[in-house]
Order: sequence, then structure tokens, then C-alpha cells
Amino acid sequence: MKLKTTVGMIVLALAVALLMAPAAFAGKPGFDDKEIRIAAWGPQTGPAAAWGNVARGPNVMAAIVNAEGGIHGRKLKHFVRDDQYNPAQTKLVVKELVEQQGIFSFVCGTSAAGGMAVKDYLKDNKVIWVGPATSVEEYVFPVNPYLFTIMPLYEDEASILTKYVVEKLKMKKIGILYQNDPYGKNGLKGVLQRLKKYRMKAVAEIPVEPTEQDLASQMQKFKSSGAEAVLMWVAPKTAVIALKTSKSMGYTPQWVSSMTLGDYELMYKISGGLWEGVVTGAFTLPPETRHPLMDKYREATKKYAPEERWGVFFHAGIMFTEPLIHALKKVGKNLSTEACLRELNKIRNFKGTGGKITYTPKRHQGTDSIMVMKCGPNATYIKVMDWTSNELASWKK
Amino acid sequence: MIGQLIIEGLAIGACYGLFAIAVVIIYKTSEVVNFAQGEMAMLSTFIAFHILNYYHYPFWLAFILTMAFAILLGVLIEFLFLRPAKHPSLLGLIVITLGAEMLLMGLAGWKWGAEQKEFVVPMSYQVTHEPFPGMIINDWAIAVFITAALVMVLLFLFFKYTKLGIAMRATQQNQHAAKIMGIRVERVFSIAWGFSSLIGTIAAMFFASRSTLDPGFMLEPFLRAFAAAVLGGLMSIPGVFIGGELLGLIENFFGYVWPEWKPIVAFVVIILVLCIRPSGLFAKHYVKKV
Repeated sequence: MKLKTTVGMIVLALAVALLMAPAAFAGKPGFDDKEIRIAAWGPQTGPAAAWGNVARGPNVMAAIVNAEGGIHGRKLKHFVRDDQYNPAQTKLVVKELVEQQGIFSFVCGTSAAGGMAVKDYLKDNKVIWVGPATSVEEYVFPVNPYLFTIMPLYEDEASILTKYVVEKLKMKKIGILYQNDPYGKNGLKGVLQRLKKYRMKAVAEIPVEPTEQDLASQMQKFKSSGAEAVLMWVAPKTAVIALKTSKSMGYTPQWVSSMTLGDYELMYKISGGLWEGVVTGAFTLPPETRHPLMDKYREATKKYAPEERWGVFFHAGIMFTEPLIHALKKVGKNLSTEACLRELNKIRNFKGTGGKITYTPKRHQGTDSIMVMKCGPNATYIKVMDWTSNELASWKK
Repeated sequence: MIGQLIIEGLAIGACYGLFAIAVVIIYKTSEVVNFAQGEMAMLSTFIAFHILNYYHYPFWLAFILTMAFAILLGVLIEFLFLRPAKHPSLLGLIVITLGAEMLLMGLAGWKWGAEQKEFVVPMSYQVTHEPFPGMIINDWAIAVFITAALVMVLLFLFFKYTKLGIAMRATQQNQHAAKIMGIRVERVFSIAWGFSSLIGTIAAMFFASRSTLDPGFMLEPFLRAFAAAVLGGLMSIPGVFIGGELLGLIENFFGYVWPEWKPIVAFVVIILVLCIRPSGLFAKHYVKKV
């Protein structure tokens, strides 16, 4: 009886200890002597599948690194998982990767809502995350020691785009179409911040769910408000429906969109050419730019991923891994999460194929700069404003 | 502004109504809510896309071939998935159609990929007319109205005057009695699935041309159409069409005033109708004596 009680107590204590144990014990190591495992989630299916190629971009970076002999003798192995743009699914795939595969660092990671669902889990498990393929202030303010962003904040982008619309295009009536999640709401915040500076107000602010297929009433509202320009932070499909619907109602404002819809080839194709004339932000060099690194990535994509379309988002997936590769090379042979974090925190004015990146232990928002592009005939990129930073950026003050 | 909202509401409502008819045709004959309805239509629309873009056939030839495929797909799904199930429960039937849905979505994703595609119909949303000042109607909406009216008239004639239509109605009212009268009930089920698939595909082609084509593009319209079917009454074909039109109008007016609540209107409608009038606004409520 006594023995039974003792065994029972031990089992109970072990169960309690397991339940109370920090999540840090949950993950497997993300590297060994032969390889470093990195991973990305992204919508390979579902309403935002057009952004799915971002997560596959690092495959090419891994192939380039491995062809050059790896990083201090270790090969790079990249995992891709489909989260269907569904935060519940993001949690599942990230947990599987961390606990079953063992991941040293995540890269990319599309969907602000998905990222928000896993950022604390990754932090608790001491897993680095570099270059989320989305950018919201909640990621890095306050500083998350394991998370380093590359994309400018949607808020900063929105502020710069609004500046372009008001100052260069001389438009005064601004409408905003935003996805009803952190991605869209951060864009909305940036537009309102800039408009406040001009003592202006938006004529219409309309939220939208990414699954909505009928936007007639929303477009009618913009039309009735007299909006000359509509700025949008939405998914590709929503943007196409918005453009088609407004066109069918005889309403053609100046459309301005987030950098997330900067894949002109795709947007031009799926919108039946309506994308021509749309102004967008850009956080990376256009895909056909002549530049040594761009040429290298383009050729590597042809060689290692010939099935992939070379476009802005596939390239972005490669670009998002640049600072991590830089830091891993700097670390040397004695790799550890702490050593990699130290090197990431030392990055100053790093120039890859995006904007200039700077990290410090107190600042993990890499940049606040974008370029402004316009979609020309046959989906060509026309630069209408060079790299510009947001002088109103609240986080720099 | 009100006129424009009415036109847009009626146009999208006619699409919901058409698709709801597809849902109801199966429900009327076999009392199965087919959760694969959207994906059957999606797959057929992809076939049209494939014929148009890879074989470059003219639209109307592609349309006819697609309709033939849609009928065949409906018949096959009934034959391969539903018929082998012996005395399935309601839950069993739902699971079977959900399985078919996943299978078809996976098939489309594997064959055509998940990226959105443009689906073009000759009746363009870009060609607009202004019958009254401030009221703009486009060719796409006109085509939706004409198609919906045509489908309604043909269905009325079919169910009223053809042997097959009468057999389908008889099967719906009393399967056993229909069997005794010599109606081949299983064949009626297959034909109903084929019909339903055809009408669903017509609606899906309209939806795709107004948005984009991808494996998941019919998920949302299916939910809306289902709401329209519940609103109109799952047993009444004219009822579900009117239900679709009402839903389109409610969504558009509601969405104009409170855009943030637009996505949930359809579901609020389902709950309200189920609470107040479970058989729908236009269906006759039968009480079975036991």
C-alpha cells in the first residue's frame, strides 16, 4: 500500500513537472555537425496562395549555399509547410517543425495573423525567426530577442504611399480598403498618421475579410464618397475583385496598394490587365533588375527550381534569408543560437537585394524604407520614387 | 446609389440563387446536402479553363464540353461515392460528401496549382451600360439575369411536363412508392446529381469570371448559396432562387451601411430563418402523421 502510494506520488509529481516545464524543452536541436535546419510556412493553398512562393524561395538560397560548400561545413536544409493562410494551421505546422524536425531558424512566414499566433511559441522555444514575409509592429515592439524583421512596417509603407498620393499625385480624397487583421489595420494606421499631418481625413475606411467574394457595396461606398485614390492592404484575390467590381460600376480611382501585391506579372494576369496603372510599395529590387546578386539568384532559380516562376515574391523568399546567412557565416564553426543572435544584433547597414538593414540589441526592425513603383504596360515596373524612409515613423522617436 | 446597389445585389443574388438551385436539386431527390457541390463546380470550371487556355477552343465549344463533363462528374460521384454506401445515416452521407470535396480540391490543386487564375467569359464586366443616370449595368450582370431566367423556365418545364421530371418529383415525395410504380430510383438519383452539377458549374463560371479561379474559390459561394437555400426553403426551387436574390440584396444594403458586418449577414439569416421558420420562407411545411 505504502509502495503504491509512493509510486503514485512520483507519477503525479512527474506529471506536474512535465506540465509545468518550460516550453524550451519541447523543441529538438536545430542543427548538428552536418546540417542546419531552417523552415518557412506559407499559404500553398487557399485565398492567399499567390504568396505561397515566398516560403519556397529559401530552397534556392539553400541550394546556392550548399553548392558553395555549406556554412563552415554544414549544409542548409529548408522545410516548407502549408498553413493555408489560417493561423490555427500555422500553429500546427510550426509546432510540428519545431518538435519533430528541430528547426534552428525560421525564415519568411506569410500572414500577420499566422505570425502573431506563433511568435511567442518560437520565443519560448528559443527559435530564431528572421525576415517574416509580413511586417507588423507587434512583432518587434517591444523587442523580441529572437525575431528580426526585414520588411518595412506596413504602417511606414502606408505613410510613404500616402505622402506620394497627396504630394505627387495631388489627390485629396483618400479611401482605404483594409483586411480586417493586423496586416490591414497597420496599413490603415499609417495612412491615417500621414493624413493627420496634412490635416486631412480619409473619405472612407472599409474593412474586408480575405474570403469575401462580393465587394459591390464596398465599391459603391468608395464611389459615393468621391474617393480619388483608394489605398489597399488586402490579399491578391480581394484586390482583383475590388478592381473588377469597381470597373463594372464605372468607377476608376487611382488604386494604390501595399508592397504585398507587388508581383505585377501575377496581378496583371489575374486581373485581366486592370493592374496597369496601380501604384505599389516595393521592399526589394524588381525581379528583372541587373545587379550581381539578382543575376546570381535568377540563374540559381533556373538551375535549382526551374518549375518556379521568377517573380518578386519568389525572390523575396531568397532575400529574407540574406541576413541569416550573413550571420551564420560570421558565427564560424561553433554554432549556437546565442552566437547567431549576437551576430544578427551586430548587423549594420547590410545591403542585400532589399533595403539597408540595421539591427541592434534594442532594435530588430531592420528598415523603414520602400521604393514606390507603378505597374506599366505588360506588367513592367516603373520606379516613381526611389528608396524613401518614413520620417514620421513612430518607433524611431 | 440605391439603384446601383439593387442591380449589384440582384446580380450576385442570381448567382447565389443559381448555385442554391444546384444544392436543392440533389436535396429534393435524395435528401442529401452535398458538401462537395462547390468543388464539383470548381473542377468543371477548371476543365473549361483548361480547354480555353491549353486547347484554345472557342468559348461556346468549351462551354458545351464543360457542361458534358459536369454532368458526367455529377453522375460519377453519385455512382462511386453515394451508391455503394448501404443505408447510410445522415452523418455518414455528410462525411461522404465532405470526403468527395477534399478529394476534388486536392485533385484541382495537384493539376492546376493553388495560384489564382483569370477566367474569362465573353460577357465582360468591363462592358457597361447606363440605362438611367447613375445606374450602371454591365454585360456580366445581364448575362447572369438572362441565364438565371432561362434555367428557371427550363426547370419549370422539365419538372412539370417531362416524364423524367415527374419521376424525379415522385422519387422525392415517396421513394418506395416510386419504385413500385416502376421508376428506377437509382437512375433518377444519378440524373439529379448530373443536373445539379451542370447548374452549379454555370453559376461557378459566373463567380470565377467576377473574381479569380483557384481550388478554393467556391467555398464561400457555397456557404452563401446554402444560406439562400435555407432562406428560400430547401424544397422549393423558385423559393431558393428568391432566397438568393433576397440574400444578395440584404448583403449589399447591409454591407453599404455596415461593411464590417457584411461577411456574417448570410449566417445570421440562416440562424434567424431556422429559428422562426425552419422550412424556409417559401417551402410548404409538411407534417408527417405517424
